Formats: sequence, C-alpha cells, structure tokens
Amino acid sequence: MDRYLTVDRGACAGHGLCYGAAPEIVDCDDQGDPIILTEPVPDGMVGQAEHVVDICPERALALQESLQESPSA
Amino acid sequence: MPTTRADVRPDLVVDFDIYDPALTMPVDRMQERTAELAKVGPIVWSPAYGGHWLVTAYDEVHEILRDPATFSSYPNNLVDAGQGKFLPIELDPPEHTSYRQALQPLFNPTRMRALEPRIRELVVELIEKFQGAGRVEFVEEFAHELPTTVFLALMGWPLEDAPMFTEATEIAMNGKPGDTPEQAVASRTEAAMQMFGYFMQIIHTRRAAAEAGEELDDITTAVMKTRIKDAEGVERDLTDDELARMFFLLLIAGLHTVQGTLCWMMLHLSTNTDQRDTVIADADAIPAAVEEVLRYESQIAMGRRAVRDVEIGGVTIKADDQLLLLLCSANRDDSQFADPQSLQVDRTPNRHLAFGSGPHRCIGSHLARVELRIAMEEIHKRIPDYRLDPEDPAVVLPSQVRGFARLPLLFTPVTSS
Repeated sequence: MDRYLTVDRGACAGHGLCYGAAPEIVDCDDQGDPIILTEPVPDGMVGQAEHVVDICPERALALQESLQESPSA
Repeated sequence: MPTTRADVRPDLVVDFDIYDPALTMPVDRMQERTAELAKVGPIVWSPAYGGHWLVTAYDEVHEILRDPATFSSYPNNLVDAGQGKFLPIELDPPEHTSYRQALQPLFNPTRMRALEPRIRELVVELIEKFQGAGRVEFVEEFAHELPTTVFLALMGWPLEDAPMFTEATEIAMNGKPGDTPEQAVASRTEAAMQMFGYFMQIIHTRRAAAEAGEELDDITTAVMKTRIKDAEGVERDLTDDELARMFFLLLIAGLHTVQGTLCWMMLHLSTNTDQRDTVIADADAIPAAVEEVLRYESQIAMGRRAVRDVEIGGVTIKADDQLLLLLCSANRDDSQFADPQSLQVDRTPNRHLAFGSGPHRCIGSHLARVELRIAMEEIHKRIPDYRLDPEDPAVVLPSQVRGFARLPLLFTPVTSS
C-alpha cells in the first residue's frame, strides 16, 4: 500500500527538524518550510517518514494512505 | 483592569525576578528555581516589575507562542532600558508578516548549510589557537569568537568593531557588573544609545557607498533593500530607525544565544561523560545531541502581553497583563519529556521549544544548528577530555537571555606534530 507524507501548512512553524533528520524525503523552500520530495514514500523509507512524523513539534506531519489536503492547509 | 497581586490566588504568588543575580551567582540555580515554580503551577505570578505571569509548562508556552492574536509580542522585555521596540520580534501579525518574509530567505537552511566550509575553517582555527595550552577560557577564546565572526561576515561589518559592540550589547542586556538596579537601567540605556549610534553610522556609510555604485552583497544590503507593507497594505522602504532596530535584534539574537549554548554544551557534556562518550564515538550522533543541549538549557525567557482576557493554565489572564515564558522549564516538562532532568543525547522525539514557535520562531535557528554541530564535531575530535576548572568556576549571568561571562576549562594539551 502506498503511503504519503503530508504537511499541515497551518500547523507547521518551520522548526526544520524534518528536513534536518530525513533530507532524502523532505527538503525546504526559501522560507524554511518543508517540501515533500517523495510521493509516495518509497517502501525502504517508510521508517524514516514515521520518524519525522514523530519528531515534529507541531504534529504537522502525517503519514497517510492517500494524498489529500489537510483540512487547515 | 490588569491583574494585581490581590487578584491572584495566594498560593500562585512566587518570589522570582529573572534579572536577580542571586539566581546564577555564585552558583547557577536557575533550573532548580524554575523547576520549583513549575511545581507551583503551569502559570504563576511574580510581583516583580509591576507584576507579571510566569509560564512554566510546555503546553501553555506552546499555545501562547502560537496565538499572537491573544498574546502580543510587545513588550518582549520586562524592562525597557532605552532600547524601545525591537523589530520585527515586537511586532504582531499582520504587520510582522512582511518583515518575516523578507528576512527568512536570508537565513534559510540552504544558505546556512552553504556556510559550513567557512564555519568549519573558523572553528578549527579557533581550537588550534588554544589546544596546545591544556586550558581555555572558553567564552572569550571560542564561544564568543565563533558566532561574532560568522555574524560579522554575514552582515559585512568590520571585524575590528567587535570589541566595542560586544561590550555595549552585554551592558545593554545586563547592565554593568555591580550596578544597583537603578544604575543598571542607566547603564543599559547608555549602551543602547551607543549601539543605535553605531547602526546609524553603518546605515549612512552603506547609503553613501551605494550612491557611489559600491554595493556589497551581504545581509546588511539585503535588509536595507527590504520593502515592507504597512498597516494599510502599502509598500514602503524601512526608515533608518527601523533598520537600526532590526540590526540590534539580529545582533543580540545571533551572538549571545549561540555563545550560551556552546558553553552549556561544554558544561553538561563535561559532567555527563557517558553522554560525551557517545558523541566522541559517533559523529552521526551529533545532530541529535545538539537538539538535546538546546532542550536541556534553553536560555531564553520571552515576554508577551495579553490583548484580551483569557483563561489558560487554570488562571484568568486579563487584558494588558504581562507574561514571561520560561523556555528552560517548559523544555524540562515531564508531560512532554521522559526523565526531563537527565541529558540524553539520543533523545527522540525531542520536540523542544528552544527556538520558540509560532510567527516569531527563531529565524537564525538554521545558522545556529550549523555552528553548534560543527563546533561539537571539531571539539570532540581535538580536545575530547575537557573538564571544568575546579579552581576557577564558571560565571553565569541571569536575564531574559541567560548566558556565560566565563567558562574556564582544562583538557589534555594537544602537542603539535
């Protein structure tokens, strides 16, 4: 089953822990906000994706089964 | 009507003044004291400075930082010692937003990572100057030098001006050693004026150079070109006064904070040698170790002011009440961190708020992380057995940006090959 990493833009505060921890999955834009690089997350990187979901201080990241906009985005 | 002491439940009234030298001298007891406050409640009341709320708990600090519509970031400082408004930290959205969008790209993670080779060269150069001696006064010879040199290069300001503004910013924040509280306000005011004079001179020199077609490619130029939107949404240039207030903030935010965290890193890893062994053995452990040092000693206590009455943390905050957010205790809140009083360099998750949160989250965090990581890497490669000097104890200063005046360390000297 494909898994997608999603960002709740309303919750993200730009801490940058995600792209610091898993640069293969998450990059950042000019404003320091995350950009998801892999859609869906490759099988071998699901563990890393779960890790970045876990470390986000704002709980802004989620690993979902489909690519849908989060409600507050 | 703002809250007065008589309105506060007596058990929530505490005796605490973040500027009290007794909190850190002769021995730093800040964490011990703020942990006691946290036991009293998530939000407690200090009668100091006309009365203010102290926010000690993670959830409440986080919520307040993320709600600028309720909690204005002006004033951020409990005492206005002549410095006026710092920009843009003491502006609220929407006015704040265009400043933020203009500044953020200047300090974005990609740009900061690109500085890594230069920063590493500087770190190595600084360590090599003292590594043969077996002892170092770490503040003067490293922790101060590193962020100052990096900052000056980014800003394009003359390196020889560093001693002047180092002293002036130190006095602007803490007053002069031995000042009475009244004298401290006078010293701080005078130092702030000196700094504003310096910034005005930089601004005028840059304007003259730009007119002569000699524009430098640095952050000073970029900031001076910033166009902001005023309250009516009209774009305009920044005034000289606004520019000076931004430069002052960048200076205070960029130097003192990194200096302090470098010192906390040395102090805590020297006394938690099992944790230090992890860092020595595995350079890949360092990014997480940096985050843990940031959590363990978060030196900032930022101010907020309620713009309306609000219930939070079991108390009623009234409109115009001042708050002080104690990141040091929030980041040791056991509802968020397991065994928070222990330093665990592999702690995960580590959702610390050392860089704040919300619209004012530290814009320099990506630079700070690069500086801290490279310093941690090179120090543990070169002088890994550093320890505190029992004859010459560290001197820690209180204030809303707690920091070090001195940190003497001993280590096995490195003989040059």
